[in-house]
Amino acid sequence: MTELALQVVPGIVEVQSGVHPLIAQPGMKTDHEREREARLRRMVDDHLDFVARVLRNAGTPASEVDDEVQRTFITVARRLDDVRLGSEKSFLLQTALNVAAHARRTAARRREVSAEEAPELVDLATPEQLADRKRARRLLDRVLDEMEPDLRTVFVLYEFEELSMAEIAGVLSIPSGTVASRLRRARGQFKKRVQALESSLRPEVKR
Amino acid sequence: MSEPRRLREEGGSAFEQALLDAGASYRSSPAVRARTLAALGIAGTAALTASTAGGASSAALLTKAGWTKILAISGLGMTAAAPVGYYAWQKAQAPEPAVVAVAAAPRAQRPTPAAVEPPPAPAVTDVAPEPQRVAPAPKVEPRAHSASALAAELGALDAARSRLAAGDAASALALLDDYSRAYPRGRLVLEAEVLRIDALAKSGQMAQAKKRAELFLKRHPKSVLASRVRTYLTD
Repeated sequence: MTELALQVVPGIVEVQSGVHPLIAQPGMKTDHEREREARLRRMVDDHLDFVARVLRNAGTPASEVDDEVQRTFITVARRLDDVRLGSEKSFLLQTALNVAAHARRTAARRREVSAEEAPELVDLATPEQLADRKRARRLLDRVLDEMEPDLRTVFVLYEFEELSMAEIAGVLSIPSGTVASRLRRARGQFKKRVQALESSLRPEVKR
Repeated sequence: MSEPRRLREEGGSAFEQALLDAGASYRSSPAVRARTLAALGIAGTAALTASTAGGASSAALLTKAGWTKILAISGLGMTAAAPVGYYAWQKAQAPEPAVVAVAAAPRAQRPTPAAVEPPPAPAVTDVAPEPQRVAPAPKVEPRAHSASALAAELGALDAARSRLAAGDAASALALLDDYSRAYPRGRLVLEAEVLRIDALAKSGQMAQAKKRAELFLKRHPKSVLASRVRTYLTD
C-alpha cells in the first residue's frame, strides 16, 4: 500500500493514477481484504451523508456532488491502511474538503469561460416558494458562493456540522484564534448577505 | 475559548433559518450510496438494506461521540496540508468538556442512517442468472428509482463481483450479461462496465478488455472510475 502517501495529502486530490487496491487482486479474498471491505462499507454507511453535505456546502456544484462523494471515498480507500481506527470521519472530512476545493476551482474556471448562470430571482417571490427547500438551497449557495473560501469552510463546519472551534482548528491545521476570527467574519458576511438577499426578494416579508 | 451559539439556534429571520436548514439537512440519495459502494468495488447489498431501513440509532450517536474524541485540540498544525492535522488529532487526547457537550447532542432534523454493523454480504455460491435472487427484498414491487430496484441492481453486481473474486471470471461475465439485459438503463451501468473490463482481463481476454477500456475512457473521461479503467491500458 501507499505507506507514506498520507504524510502529504495534496491540496488537489488526484485519483487518476495507480491500481485500484481491490480490483487489482485476483483470486480469493484474504482476511485482510475482507476486513478492509467491512470497514469501507461501515464508513460509507456512517458517513456518506456527512461527506455529501460537506462537499456540497463547501462549494461543490450540485451536479457534481455524487461523483465527488465517490471520489472522496475512493481516495480514502486507497489510503485506508493509514487511517487509524476511529479516525475515519476526520480523514474523510479532510479529504472531502480537498476534493471540494478542487471542484470549486474547476467550476470557477468553467464560469469564467462561459459566463453562465444569470441569477434567477424572478420566480422566488412567494413564501411557499421560499419555504421550498430546493430554492432555499439555491439561495444558500448564492450566499456561500460569495464568501471567501477560507471563511466559507469555517462557517459550514461550525454552523452545519457543528464542530467546535477547536475541532475546526485541528481539521484545518490553523490556530484557534484564526478560526475564531474567520468565523466572526464569515457570520458577519452571511448575515449581511442574507438580509440583502431577503430584502431584494420580498421587501415586505420580515421576521 | 468561548463558543458562540450556532446561528440556527439564534433565531434569526425565517428566511435565514430556511437557508441554514437547507445547509444542515442536505442528504444524499440511496443511488449515491449504491454507486459509491460499487465504485469502491465492495459488495453493497447489505449496506443498502441497512440504510434504507432508516432511522437514527444509538450506534449513530456513538459515532457522533467518537468523533468528538478524535477531534481534540491541536495547536501544532501550521500548514494547509491535511494530514498534519490528522496526525495531531491522533496524538491529542482529552477534548474540552464543552466540546463533548456540543458535539454529542443529537441533531433532530437529520436522521443518520442506521450505523449498525451491516450483516455480511450475501454469499453467492452458485451462478445466479436472475439478479433478483440476490436482492434482499424481492417481495417489494421493484419500481424504477426505488430503493428496492437499486438493491436488486446492486445485488446483481455483487453476485458478479463475488464470482470474480472467487476466480471464476466466466461466471462473472455471464452474470454481467444478465445484468445488462435486466437493467439496460440501470443506475450502475458504469460500475458494471468496469467490472466487465476487469472480468475480461482476468479471463485472459486482454484485447477485449483493452478495447472496452479505451471506449470507456473515450466516453467517460472524467468519470471517477476512469483511473481504474486506465490501468488496463498501461500493461
